Amino acid sequence: MEALDQAAPKIRLDGISKEYIVPRTGQRTLAIADVSLDIVQGEFLCIVGPSGCGKSTILNMIAGLAEPSAGTVAMDGAPIRAPGSERGVVFQDYALFPWKTVRENIEFGPRFRSDARLGAAERDKLVRHYIDLVSLTGAEHKYPHELSGGMRQRCAFARALANEPEVLLMDEPFAALDAQTRLILQEELLRIWGEDLPRAERKTVIFITHGIDEAVFLADRVAVMSNHPGRIKTVMDIDLPRPRRESLRATSEFQTLADEIWQLIRREAYEATIDRR
Amino acid sequence: MTARDENGAAVAPGGATPYWPTPLAARIYASIGGLFVYVRAMAVFLVIWHLVSLWIGNPILLPSPIAAAEALVDLTRQGEVFSNVVASLTRLGTSFALAILLGVPLGFAMGLSRNVFAMVDPLIELLRPISGIAWIPLGMFILGVGEALPTAIMFYGAFFPIVINTVVGVRSVNPGLVQAARVLGVGRAHIVRHVIWPAALPNILVGARLGAGAGWMAMVAAELIGAPSGLGFAVEWYRELLMTPSVLAFVFLIGLLGYLFDRLLRWLQRVLTPWAQTQGGAL
Ligand SMILES: Nc1ncnc2c1ncn2[C@@H]1O[C@H](COP(=O)(O)OP(=O)(O)O)[C@@H](O)[C@H]1O
Ligand SMILES: [Mg+2]
Repeated sequence: MEALDQAAPKIRLDGISKEYIVPRTGQRTLAIADVSLDIVQGEFLCIVGPSGCGKSTILNMIAGLAEPSAGTVAMDGAPIRAPGSERGVVFQDYALFPWKTVRENIEFGPRFRSDARLGAAERDKLVRHYIDLVSLTGAEHKYPHELSGGMRQRCAFARALANEPEVLLMDEPFAALDAQTRLILQEELLRIWGEDLPRAERKTVIFITHGIDEAVFLADRVAVMSNHPGRIKTVMDIDLPRPRRESLRATSEFQTLADEIWQLIRREAYEATIDRR
Repeated sequence: MTARDENGAAVAPGGATPYWPTPLAARIYASIGGLFVYVRAMAVFLVIWHLVSLWIGNPILLPSPIAAAEALVDLTRQGEVFSNVVASLTRLGTSFALAILLGVPLGFAMGLSRNVFAMVDPLIELLRPISGIAWIPLGMFILGVGEALPTAIMFYGAFFPIVINTVVGVRSVNPGLVQAARVLGVGRAHIVRHVIWPAALPNILVGARLGAGAGWMAMVAAELIGAPSGLGFAVEWYRELLMTPSVLAFVFLIGLLGYLFDRLLRWLQRVLTPWAQTQGGAL
């Protein structure tokens, strides 16, 4: 953990707020207020919080799809102003191109991005590698609508990876899957991320979820958010050993951490549920 | 126990139904069934037509379907059908190609840029409700009787559905797909070419089908008075000669060719946008 604290941040959120203004009514919503957070190289950070607390808003700002109303978002010390291939995103609804096959979806970034495009031969090797990595071999020529939910998820994941980003942003990527598939993909995600690699060689991952178990299982640190407006309440270190396997979920350390997080957000989770009724 | 049985059946559905027809056989049965429904509907229609023609008893007002069919065979044999069909189809081809070549880029520009839309849309909304037929008298002054008039009127009919559906197609592209391309570091030009264009294509093809239909309908009106050849011209020609069976033969051809052209475009939809078909997108 010492190494984690000393390193210069890969991504730095410095006092960011985001206010949405509805164009027609002029109504203002403060989605997130004064969020500061440093994420270091090779870290797996999970953000949990009740729905509507601004998790996607934060992720979109790191992706460069939205700008903060106040504060700065920086990567390697340089402010983020636009999307770029060094930050890959896996969206909750996967956003696969329906007119492209699995293969064509995965090679989309390396083929069409503005900088450092790859030639056909290199691309072929790269795409094949990632298709194998996410176990989509044999489905290369299928269209997204011919795939199961889990396969679509893996395709979206491979599309992001094949662009070889330094930072991977994932917005509730497993939320639409059934429970068994989700558990399997969590383990697979850790394997692909490279749990055994030294920290410097891992990708930095920011992973949004509302599953507390999921966050504890995956993360090095869990940022717990609160609502109205969205703030970061606590950042918890998850000092569970890696590589992590299914059996970890049954241990008392795991349960204790999960329960601690649940206690932090339960009041707000109740409020959010009752608000919406 | 039951749950396990259900589970087993769900996992391996192939083994449970060995006598289920193969996809090919199923398709043949389905198309024979479809043909039967079609023939039955046509037979009812022809019988009623025949009875009504007997009741009216005047072959100039309404000849029997047999007389009309004979006329069609005669006209085909004499080759007269072909020159008119070629004339009309050439005009359809020219006007439709022009409407696509101008309408799709314009619709794209309007869909992508608010400024272009604000500039062009009022004009389009003003012209669109005016039927192409309303322009025929003026067109005869300016263009005279010949190729130009029916082609221009057909273009007018085809143009607006194509533009409007292209605008709708470009505007209704899922923003999530554009974002997905942006976060991969893909630039604007490639996004337009590889995301917005394919995403808008199903709507553009719907516009093309509507445009072709509108153009084909406008054609008959334009050829009735403004052309020296073509299917509409032939209808009017035989009307003046009081040869009603031939009139009906050409009317039938207008319907048949319009239908076939639409089938062609539908086939194009299936080939060009297979993903939209399976999602039940296009008509
Ligand atoms: N484009 C937008 N316009 C207006 N309000 C928005 C917009 N996007 C999000 N919001 C609001 O901001 C808050 C945070 O949204 P979001 O980041 O999507 O939350 P989460 O991902 O945690 O569920 C919500 O209250 C939501 O209604
Ligand atoms: Mg969200």
